Amino acid sequence: MRKMLAAVSRVLSGAAQKPASRVLVASRNFANDATFEIKKCDLHRLEEGPPVTTVLTREDGLKYYKMMQTVRRMELKADQLYKQKIIRGFCHLCDGQEACCVGLEAGINPTDHLITAYRAHGFTYTRGLPVREILAELTGRRGGCAKGKGGSMHMYARNFYGGNGIVGAQVPLGAGIALACKYNGKDEVCLTLYGDGAANQGQIFEAYNMAALWKLPCIFICENNRYGMGTSVERAAASTDYYKRGDFIPGLRVDGMDVLCVREATKFAAAHCRSGKGPILMELQTYRYHGHSMSDPGVSYRTREEIQEVRSKSDPIMLLKDRMVNSNLASVEELKEIDVEVRKEIEDAAQFATADPEPPLEELGYHIYSNDPPFEVRGANQWIKFKSVS
Amino acid sequence: MAAEAAAAGRLWLSACRAGGHWRRLCSAGLLRGFLQPASAVGDAARRRQLAHFTFQPDPEHQDYGQTQKMNLFQAVTSALDNSLAKDPTAVIFGEDVAFGGVFRCTVGLRDKYGKDRVFNTPLCEQGIVGFGIGIAVTGATAIAEIQFADYIFPAFDQIVNEAAKYRYRSGDLFNCGSLTIRSPWGCVGHGALYHSQSPEAFFAHCPGIKVVVPRSPFQAKGLLLSCIEDKNPCIFFEPKILYRAAVEQVPVEPYNIPLSQAEIIQEGSDVTLVAWGTQVHVIREVASMAQEKLGVSCEVIDLRTILPWDVDTVCKA
Repeated sequence: MRKMLAAVSRVLSGAAQKPASRVLVASRNFANDATFEIKKCDLHRLEEGPPVTTVLTREDGLKYYKMMQTVRRMELKADQLYKQKIIRGFCHLCDGQEACCVGLEAGINPTDHLITAYRAHGFTYTRGLPVREILAELTGRRGGCAKGKGGSMHMYARNFYGGNGIVGAQVPLGAGIALACKYNGKDEVCLTLYGDGAANQGQIFEAYNMAALWKLPCIFICENNRYGMGTSVERAAASTDYYKRGDFIPGLRVDGMDVLCVREATKFAAAHCRSGKGPILMELQTYRYHGHSMSDPGVSYRTREEIQEVRSKSDPIMLLKDRMVNSNLASVEELKEIDVEVRKEIEDAAQFATADPEPPLEELGYHIYSNDPPFEVRGANQWIKFKSVS
Repeated sequence: MAAEAAAAGRLWLSACRAGGHWRRLCSAGLLRGFLQPASAVGDAARRRQLAHFTFQPDPEHQDYGQTQKMNLFQAVTSALDNSLAKDPTAVIFGEDVAFGGVFRCTVGLRDKYGKDRVFNTPLCEQGIVGFGIGIAVTGATAIAEIQFADYIFPAFDQIVNEAAKYRYRSGDLFNCGSLTIRSPWGCVGHGALYHSQSPEAFFAHCPGIKVVVPRSPFQAKGLLLSCIEDKNPCIFFEPKILYRAAVEQVPVEPYNIPLSQAEIIQEGSDVTLVAWGTQVHVIREVASMAQEKLGVSCEVIDLRTILPWDVDTVCKA
């Protein structure tokens, strides 16, 4: 703010810089909102799709920008920590896919439910957990959201059911959550996410059938980032129109790099489910810059040029920033300040995640069962016993 | 598995009092030593670089022709190479096997034998095994790969209900004996819940299939070739921690190691220790520690085939 005022006053006065006052310069008014055109979604078994124009308020715009930037910085920090061997094990990063997690969250209520696979750090954040708990979980410390016992793939929050390691296994779970939503009658929906690789798993089709048969308020979302680990979609799927794979379930194909497009599509899909019409399928066409996980360089099955092209043409943060600046919803400096804020937040969180102690060894056996009183669990040999408390 | 703990437990208690040298051995493998509570952060990387055991290679076998230095994944590649060369109906399929596999077990095979014999499947374990059973029923040799043993569970129904019982329920009219399922197995240090499992026990009570776990490259090649040639569906678990760590002289030509035969690695008179896979190497260390420290003479047996297991050898020991 201060920098911006200083710059403006320099321009106006043309003289030596005067200390800028904190009074908002009237000439630099931002628009309250702006209307944008978004890409039309391909439809399957639907008469109408989501609207092709949407209104973005300045407040929302700044919020989405900050959230996406936080997810991006958090993932890059996780990359850095992994390379320093402070994070170990498996780490699947979602930078490039920020518009998906932020856009989906923007289209639903906090009381709705979400379940996804292992590329879950972004969703953990958008569902409400602070960055420090996410990073602490990655480094396996007691301040982590799963007390350090879950790691990258097993993060959970209120109405967020993870974080699941086995590919495709979370989809029938999502259908079950949707059944509970319908049963409880509170007008909630369940977003069930999976990837383009998982789309070929049998249990997903079983879930489609159950959801459609019982008209469950389940939004199946395929995050198509074009590669299932190292296999491109053409080499893995007979039909790459993932939004049509639900067959008897209506589907939409959405531009997953545009946060507004995702938001509108999600609102549309949620309205569809809430009106009792049954499940709906969304395919988000997105891209990940990193490899499948930290042990995958990500360039043996795709070219660096391709990654560079997506980064320069369709980066979700860049798209939102350009839109906001060009329609006077925010200034470049303001967004830069948000960047600085975010960077600081991530640094602090990383500091916490590195300094926090690991969970105590005694807790190794906790929470295996729900049991009362506590019982003893055998360790690596019969003389090592851990107490299991729940 | 329980037998080994006896010696180990007493040993640990007495060795704990000793310092330095024993600390390294104590921190190896089964004992509480390796579950050290975290101290300084900088220690983290160094701490985890120590494997919990030392791979002990067997002496070079002279009876099988010229040998070459190979690690476990190279031994597997060699076995698969031999199989595809000998058997024109043999095919290898699984997730990502075409470029060589996530553990490099199938490197070079697609170039050598063609894309219709070494091919990728989509992400569907149940489909992979079911598909493999189908290939095997027509008489072709099917070598399926399940990318990690942790992912074998969607295929559990196909293995236990379809593959294992085919011969029996068709009165020997049909069978899927030429099916072999290979899968990386066992803990590796950083695998956590879904890249470390050892599910052989789930299959150990299913008549109709054979379950095999090798301890070394030489054993792996011979046992894998036997599994492929065996006229029953076999599951071959490859200890993933040994893929690179285990290096031995392995014969280049094909050879077989019989299934359902345990191997007595070390003769002894007081206590029998039975193990398979990675644990065999831990047990060998335990046996020598027992001899030195307690004067206990241990007989070490590598079970090799979990099902049907060699009851005679174990009982006679």
